[in-house]
Amino acid sequence: MKKIIIKCTCFLVLATGFSSCNKWLDLKPQNGIVREDFWKTKEQVAAAVTGIYASLLSSPTATSTTINTTDRALAEYLWVWGEARADMATPGIFISPEELEMVNVNMLPTNSLVNWRALYRTINYCNTVIQLAPEVLALDPTFTQGQLDAAVSEALAIRALMYFYLVRSWGDVPLKLDATISDQDIVPIPKTGQDSVLNQIVADLKKAETGAVFTYGNKAFDKGRVTKYTVNAILADVYLWMEKYPESVAECNKIINSNQFGLLEGNASWFNNLYAVGNSNESIFEFQFDVQKLNPFYRMFVQTRRWQSSFRVLEDMYTVDLVDDTKKDIRAEGSALRAADATIWKFVASDFNSLKSLDQSYTHWFVYRYADILLMKAEALNQIGMGADALALVYQVRTRAAALVATDLNPSPTDKNGIADFILEERAREFAFEGKRWYDVLRNAKRNNYERASILYDVVANSVPSDRQQAALNKYKDKNSHYFPIFVYEMQTNKQLIQNPFYK
Amino acid sequence: MKKSLAKLLLSASAMVFVLVLMTGCKKLIIKETTTEDVNIVGYLDKNLDSFSLFRQILERTETAAYLNAYGAYTLFAPTNSGVRAYLPKIGATSVETADIAVLKDMVRFHLLEDTVTTGAFTDGKLPVITQYGQYLITSVGQKAGASTYLINRQAFDIQPDVRVGNGIIHVIDNVLIAPKLTVAKALEANPNYSIFTQALKETGYFDLLNIDKNPDPSKRWLTVLAESNQVLADSGITSYAQLKAKYSKTGNPKLITDSLNLYCAYHILSGIKFLGDIIIATSHTTLAPQEVVSSKLENQEVLINDDVFNGVLEPGVTLKRPTSDVASNNGVIHDASAHFTLKYRKPTAVFWDCSDFTEIRKLPAYFRKQNYNFVKANDVDFPIKDIIWPMGAANGTSTLQYSFSTASSITNFACNADVNILPLGAPNRPFWVDYRTPTIIKGRYKVWVGYRAQKQSSSSNMQCNVLIDGVTMQRPFNFTEVRPNGTDGELESIGWKRYTENTSTNWAARLVGTVDILTTERHMLRINSINGTQNNNNLDMIHFIPVDEPQVLPRFKPDGSKLFL
Repeated sequence: MKKIIIKCTCFLVLATGFSSCNKWLDLKPQNGIVREDFWKTKEQVAAAVTGIYASLLSSPTATSTTINTTDRALAEYLWVWGEARADMATPGIFISPEELEMVNVNMLPTNSLVNWRALYRTINYCNTVIQLAPEVLALDPTFTQGQLDAAVSEALAIRALMYFYLVRSWGDVPLKLDATISDQDIVPIPKTGQDSVLNQIVADLKKAETGAVFTYGNKAFDKGRVTKYTVNAILADVYLWMEKYPESVAECNKIINSNQFGLLEGNASWFNNLYAVGNSNESIFEFQFDVQKLNPFYRMFVQTRRWQSSFRVLEDMYTVDLVDDTKKDIRAEGSALRAADATIWKFVASDFNSLKSLDQSYTHWFVYRYADILLMKAEALNQIGMGADALALVYQVRTRAAALVATDLNPSPTDKNGIADFILEERAREFAFEGKRWYDVLRNAKRNNYERASILYDVVANSVPSDRQQAALNKYKDKNSHYFPIFVYEMQTNKQLIQNPFYK
Repeated sequence: MKKSLAKLLLSASAMVFVLVLMTGCKKLIIKETTTEDVNIVGYLDKNLDSFSLFRQILERTETAAYLNAYGAYTLFAPTNSGVRAYLPKIGATSVETADIAVLKDMVRFHLLEDTVTTGAFTDGKLPVITQYGQYLITSVGQKAGASTYLINRQAFDIQPDVRVGNGIIHVIDNVLIAPKLTVAKALEANPNYSIFTQALKETGYFDLLNIDKNPDPSKRWLTVLAESNQVLADSGITSYAQLKAKYSKTGNPKLITDSLNLYCAYHILSGIKFLGDIIIATSHTTLAPQEVVSSKLENQEVLINDDVFNGVLEPGVTLKRPTSDVASNNGVIHDASAHFTLKYRKPTAVFWDCSDFTEIRKLPAYFRKQNYNFVKANDVDFPIKDIIWPMGAANGTSTLQYSFSTASSITNFACNADVNILPLGAPNRPFWVDYRTPTIIKGRYKVWVGYRAQKQSSSSNMQCNVLIDGVTMQRPFNFTEVRPNGTDGELESIGWKRYTENTSTNWAARLVGTVDILTTERHMLRINSINGTQNNNNLDMIHFIPVDEPQVLPRFKPDGSKLFL
């Protein structure tokens, strides 16, 4: 009898034990969703695409809406890469040692400012959408081919933009085109040549152009997400970098002829509409910071002032009319900078004389504006011998800004180098502190196999502290030094990478 | 017996057991080092195929042991090929046969007693002197198309910043050779400087420049701005005789009052100053008494004596980069691109409108149009380059207001109708304010402070001292004190004057004393609060008038023009 009872109990225990095992042995995370359960509906595809844009705003390890201090937001990297080595921004009193080393042309692979993680993270998000979104087509009957193409086009365009920053900053970089979905996908890959990466960028953008939408029917979406015009703008910039000028002009023309964009009138509300509020008619693509996700610039320029404007910006680049104060370049005092204390003003102000408060500091990051299209077209036209047309575009931008006569170089329409210099200077004025200066200078200096390297040297002579000027100039004579070293962490974890020879 | 045998057996077996146990024990290896990092010599030993010869030198000079001990050093380690190229230069066929004294000096010249990475490399000398007692200079050169640091213009830094346990190693491809000549001998050895060298000899400076390790620390290092024969010829001087005829008025160049003597003295700066060091200071003292050369970097050119005097730019002289920075064992030689000498300048009155400074000029909408506040946000914030004040303890007191108005009674009769208003005084307001003056020619001046008297409240008081280059002037002045009545003569006799066109006694200029301005350059003037505190300190002008000139006129009109009655 006793035995029977024991046997029965054992059986019962086993039976109940096994039946509950189903759930117990299930290894899916309780607080998340795995890939096998995702990628089922078109809403999930849309969420993944939105995630790409969200990654443009936050820093790679950011988990909440607050600005995470462990790494920098992508926009901060883009700003530093585009301005620190050039001649418009100078160190403020709270400059960090690593930032100062970049200004001093003393880059080392251990400098965390050359960490490209923020870019590759976004690239992986894009790769994931490109790779997995097509599977949804079979699962969700309401998901159309057109919607899929649009989603993939957005991912392709953002991926191309990220690679374009990588190529311009590092030269040769690893080209990763498939998604890293599981640990098995993490494999070391070598660098790909700059030309091959650029060709891949062009191919991606061409594909994106066919699938991308003209409009989302909503102004905020049109400026913050990829449209056909965004693709055209990136492509125009890429072609300019590749020295393919007729192609660049063609891309600019697509935007200009669409009649969807124009320069804002340079009136009293100009600054507020274009910068402080954003999403203006002049804008093509912006990183849309908002109340929940503030931009990193308030900390950089106001709170702990790490960067400020060089005195050259007002005195030499915009110049000041000392006789008649009604004559002023609207892009200068109270727009690019506040002259009295050299604060970089563009990203932290609501108008020409009022600073935003920290909790309102969500001025967008301007990737492309219509003025950029006009000046890119001018640059390309000038290179194919259409100087007069190029100048007309430059003056269109200058007229809007009420640029001062003193900055009008007035080159002859046949003076190719004169016009190129004029456009470069105008770009400095128009896009002051928008993270474009270094790339503009490098693009003009490296044209035709560094035919005009002196452009770069002149900029450097003005930006480097005087006691390091000659050393910096001699370093820049080695063109590998125009590109960053690969960050030491990447070198340690990816044995296939070869360091940029300048930094060996 | 049986018992003891059993005991013996027991203890024997116990011993055997213990022995067996012990032999069975594995020897426990305890790691006693905290790091595997090698020290300087350890690094060389690990890379003997590159450094065997230099390692041999360390052994022979008996420096290997201490370079492998605890410390913080920077070693420039030449590779074997560098050492091989060096040995014939010192007349040796191998390390064993080389003169040990020479080798010791060579090692000392490659060694710094601090850790210096490439981050500290500038266009000038390294911050730390070598153990040999001479500085190394750094630059960047091109090696096989790649930019590489160049040490002392002799060797490339082919592997910079190797971190080892007791310091930093820079691997260099050549041995660094310390300059053997003095500045004087180096000049003499260069035929391009023959006229200049002869002038140095005739004036006695050659001997001064020829002392290696001068015991007088102020003359241990000297920097010479040399003029080549070509430069002198450009100014029409083709021989020493002509140079002497032009300058030596007493006939005895050895006299320090002789102009040729002064000419040479003016070309010698105290201290060792490479171009990278010259450009980071605005002026440098010379051996000519109380004379300085000013310096600045314009684009890439190092300019000296490029100055504005009374609104007129006097173009300066470039120091030629390729032929400058010639190091010697007691100094450095630079090559001037044009003939220059000190200028005799008659002391000239400076009528300084304190509210005309660069930062406000950059704001055309405000400059001579409306008020503007320069807010000092924290201790390290300097909103105006040439006007410096500390933080006041109370909120809002650290703001300097540029105040302009043709209507306000505070500014309407001021020179250019503008004044600077800065709160001052203990305990809650900034204690002092420093102004950098315009260039003042050396000489003896009376100093007048012109202000618009104002009391913040009826009991306010604001007594201040004026300090010029740290020296307190004889008499204080008070921002709240109005000018007494009286004729110009009566007022001047008691240290007051009316400096404005307007005759109100609120517009007052106080004589704070007489000062000897020792050098012709920009000086620091401090207004130091000593008694009282208030906000309304309206500073308009400061006059420096040579003592032998009339002190009262000119007066100033609200449009800035001068009035001589």
